[in-house]
This record gives sequence, structure tokens and C-alpha cells, in this order.
Amino acid sequence: MDDFQTGLVELLPRLRRFARVLRPRDADAQDLVQQTIERALAARRGFRPGTRLDSWTFTIMRRIAIDEGRSALRWGRLVSPEDETTARVEDPGQADEHLRADALAVRDAIHGLPEDQKHAVALVLVEGLSYAEAAKVMGVPAGTLTSRLVRGRQSLMKTLAAQGVTG
Amino acid sequence: MTAPDEEMLMRWSDGELSPEEARRLEAAALTDANLAARMSALRRLRAAAREAFAVTVDPRDRDLARLIAAQSARKRAADDGPRPVWARWPGALLAPRVAAPWAGLAVAAFVGGLLIGPGLTPGDGLRVAADGALRDRELVRVLDRRLASEGPDGDGRAVGLTFQDAERRWCRTFQAREAGMAGLACRESGAWTVRVLAPLDAPGGEVRTAASDLPEAVLMAVDAVIDGPSADAAGEARARDAGWPGG
Repeated sequence: MDDFQTGLVELLPRLRRFARVLRPRDADAQDLVQQTIERALAARRGFRPGTRLDSWTFTIMRRIAIDEGRSALRWGRLVSPEDETTARVEDPGQADEHLRADALAVRDAIHGLPEDQKHAVALVLVEGLSYAEAAKVMGVPAGTLTSRLVRGRQSLMKTLAAQGVTG
Repeated sequence: MTAPDEEMLMRWSDGELSPEEARRLEAAALTDANLAARMSALRRLRAAAREAFAVTVDPRDRDLARLIAAQSARKRAADDGPRPVWARWPGALLAPRVAAPWAGLAVAAFVGGLLIGPGLTPGDGLRVAADGALRDRELVRVLDRRLASEGPDGDGRAVGLTFQDAERRWCRTFQAREAGMAGLACRESGAWTVRVLAPLDAPGGEVRTAASDLPEAVLMAVDAVIDGPSADAAGEARARDAGWPGG
């Protein structure tokens, strides 16, 4: 394997984590990781050595997720919230029992955010990207990223406070 | 300092403030309990988000790692190569299709549109037209009809890998023991066109026996040309029976 491939392998756990933010259901997250890897391999010419492989790969994953979301809307296959809850509880891929109730509430609250805010929160809070990197992944100006982050965070805090989760 | 707004606190919790700005904010929090509480809530939210989506060990990552590792040198060569390298070769018939790996083969010579591996002079043993079309009738017959599983014919001619290039033309590697050569030929305009030739036996006297045991120059050409997996026995037979369509 070359550096690019080694880098991708090392990124797998983080790609899976990002996918779990974008796709609550474990099987969907797995599909998303797989598609992202396939597309990254096919598109490796587009990666410039010396730039960040994580940002580049997150960009690909996010784009796939958005495209999929659009086609799901077109085909009317949007999962109802009830379905998602049921799927999560039965999902062996999600080790819920290891999560504190608070962390579980935070996860649900993040999943409940509007897409743009959710992606901003995932990239900065969960993945630890800088604002500049996150803005690049999302293809928006830094100011847009910042305002999505502010709104996403405020919404999270409100949701969690209403549930009595103070963090 | 002026009362910090929500965005500034958020920037602080995300490590986006300059060290100087952060120090000033933290100093202000020492005497402002309300500010300190807001800052600590932001920090806790960040920690909780990371905990909510902790990195986990997933057995399926192993399969994905295999998928990544399986991307062979051919894809890398095709993708990483500075393609225009061959534009510098006058009469480089094979130019865009055999890319970068050759750049490292200083010993290879490019003769009459054919890349000749080290230790070969054109005309050695095999008849090849100036445009690369294979003229050796026996070898053409072997490439047309023989399957890899059948091994070498009576004169030691055998095929190895069968695969398609990016333009869906069929290509096969071959050995011609009597001529002492191995190579790669692809279907072009209804004929087998030689893409590369190399001496079958390593200069050191080491003898290659297995049909899959090809000179490095040939393997590199395969890597540069192949697009997709090589054909299995059934795919090879189907392509043969269909008359090597596509080229």
C-alpha cells in the first residue's frame, strides 16, 4: 500500500464516526463508509498530496450523503422518526449500553439538527476540525460555517436543557 | 473587555481564539461567575458530543481495509502518472496508454513505437510489424485460442493474464519460450498489437517457468494498462469464444 491507501485505512474509524452522525441507522452508516471509500479510491487523482486526507474524504462522504438524501426525498423513501428510533434500539452495531444517558441524549439531539447545522457540529465538535477546514469541507464561507455552528449549538443546548441534561 | 458574545465564547471553546484573546477571556471569567458558567457549559457540550460519537473498533473496518489495499499498482500508476511523459517520444504509438511506470526504466528502449525491455534488440526471435502488430503466426494462434489453464504448447508458447484496458480492449500476457521472450499484446483493429516485449529469462540466468512468472517490465506494463480485475477462467473463455470483441 502507498501513503494514500495507508492514510485511508487509518481514517476508517473516523469515517465511520462521521457516517454515524450523518446516518443514524448502523446499516446506512456502513453503506455510506463503503461508498465513500470506493469513491475516494476512484477519485484519488483529485487528492493533492500535502493537503489533509481527512477533510478531503469527509467532503466526499458529505456529498454522497447529501445526494442520497435528495434521491430519498425524490423517491419518498424518507424514514419516519418512529422507524429510526426502533432501528436504533435494535441495532447491534450501536453499543448504546456503553453510553451514558447524557451522551445518548446528546447523540439524539445532534441527529435531530437540521442537516447544515448537524454537519457543522459534526466536523468541528466531533471531528475536531478547525473552522477553516470545516468550511472547506462544506464548501461555504467561514462566516456561514460560524453562524451554523452558533445556531446548532444553541439548539442543542436548548434541547438538552429541556430534557434536564445539563452536560 | 466588552461583554463577549456567544460567537466569541464558542470560538474559545473550539480553540479558535488567539492565545492572547483566550487568556483575556479566561481572566475575565475569574471575576464573572455568569461568564464562567457559560464557558463551562460550552466546554461540556463539546466533550459530550465527542463522547456521544466515540471512535469505535468495528470488525467491518477490516473488510474495508482490504478493499483499500486491493487497489493495485495499476490504478495507482494510471492515476498518479504524469501522462504527457510519452508525448516527448517521437512516434510514440503507445503513448497515452502506457504511462508513468516506464519513466523509471532507464534501460528500456523505445523502438518503432514498441517498448523493448532491457536486453532485447528488435527483431529478436519474434516478428512484429512497425506498427506493433504481431506477425508471428504461431503466437497469434496461441493468443487467439489458448487458455491460461492449458499451459504452454509444444514450443513453450503460453498465455498468462487476460484482462481489458481502459478502452475495453482485450489484452493478454504471453511467453514464447523458443523465442526467449515474454510480452503483453492487446487487440487493436482486429490484430494483436504488442505493447511490450522483454527477455523471458532474467539476465542473471534465472529461468522463469510458471506462465504467471513474468519479467518485471511486462508486469509493469500490465499494471499501467489493466482496468478492472483480470478475467477468471470463465471470462477468459467467453472473451475467446466471442472473438475478443472490442478491439
